[in-house]
Amino acid sequence: MDLFKKTLDPIVALAIIALLDVFLFVIVGAWTVGGGETMIAGLVAKYVLGAKTLARIPFWTLVFTPTWAYWKIYISLGMGFGAFVAAVLSKEFYWRVPRHLSEWVMITIGGLLMGIGIRMSFVCNVSTFFGLTPEMNLGGYLAVSGIVAGAWVGSLIYKKVLEA
Amino acid sequence: MITVTGQCVAAFIFGSTVGVLVQRSRWCNTAALRDAMLFKSYRNTKALLVGMMILTLGFTGFISVGNGNPMRFDVGLNQFVGLFLFGIGMVLAGACTVSSWVKTGEGNIGAMWALLFLIVGLFVSSLLWSFTYWPPAPAAMTGQPNLAGLQFGFADALTLQQKTGIPAIVFGLIQFAALFGLYRAILRKERAIQMARGVVPSESASPASRAGAAVPEAVGAAMSDGSGASGSFQEEA
Repeated sequence: MDLFKKTLDPIVALAIIALLDVFLFVIVGAWTVGGGETMIAGLVAKYVLGAKTLARIPFWTLVFTPTWAYWKIYISLGMGFGAFVAAVLSKEFYWRVPRHLSEWVMITIGGLLMGIGIRMSFVCNVSTFFGLTPEMNLGGYLAVSGIVAGAWVGSLIYKKVLEA
Repeated sequence: MITVTGQCVAAFIFGSTVGVLVQRSRWCNTAALRDAMLFKSYRNTKALLVGMMILTLGFTGFISVGNGNPMRFDVGLNQFVGLFLFGIGMVLAGACTVSSWVKTGEGNIGAMWALLFLIVGLFVSSLLWSFTYWPPAPAAMTGQPNLAGLQFGFADALTLQQKTGIPAIVFGLIQFAALFGLYRAILRKERAIQMARGVVPSESASPASRAGAAVPEAVGAAMSDGSGASGSFQEEA
């Protein structure tokens, strides 16, 4: 199939995703990733610490009660699965390992900051651009301003690290 | 009403399709912001805007006819602060929530590492929530302003429709026009950059001195256009 030979135009890809997202919005809710990831964090913590210990942390009883019956988890798992299938079919699957220590440090700090950010705002970049803002939520506009400012600061740091 | 299993199956089918399309198009939300700022390259930004334009019309259209499931939680300053931290993090990690899953599927160990620490970050900061209880849990939100918690209640196309009686699609069209204006500004800027680089052949016959004089002008136009575009992006989107 041609899809697995040539690179797809991102505009076409995003247009199809947007149409599917509208459909998802009608049946359950808009595309989001952060919610699923929060639930995955809770499920992992429940497995590692045990349900009793986790129940002593208010966040996991008052805000998110870990359960597998939460649709947002399956969007995340689906994205990993779909990308795996597409990468194998287009012969682009291979193990890629960051080479430099600086990359590992940046990825670690970046990952932690993304996690803290999601927990704090209850939204991620996907629900910002593909959920809240198209729903014209004022929180979406605040989130877009935040992510643009953050990406700008991040770009300055990234540039410094690249130059060093 | 769709069952829980139905929701999970629909979500998985949606996610898998997104995974295939994002993997094949190499689209990345981080690049959409970072490349526009650092390298003046807009391949991913344009796709992001097209997606948002379609979604704005789709979502507000369905809200107008009383359909759809908009997210209902309070608007708060936590959304700005949280996404500010997220924005720094995604550029440092070189991946956002979408691309970290997609790259993990492609066998990228760095993306898996980012996901692992995203989950660690989520868990560690969930411990902090126990001390402050801020921001308030979505389940406790009423939709009314709660100034002590820096929360301003519900405010989206649905609230606008309910308060003004004007169908949400009218507001959606305004946002669509704003996003489209931004898209056009990017196209103009791309053309200006191409002109400055001499890609457009019409300049090739002109004397070197004239071409030399034209270049700084085009670059200047590109720069001013760009700052205008990014400024308006923050304001309206």
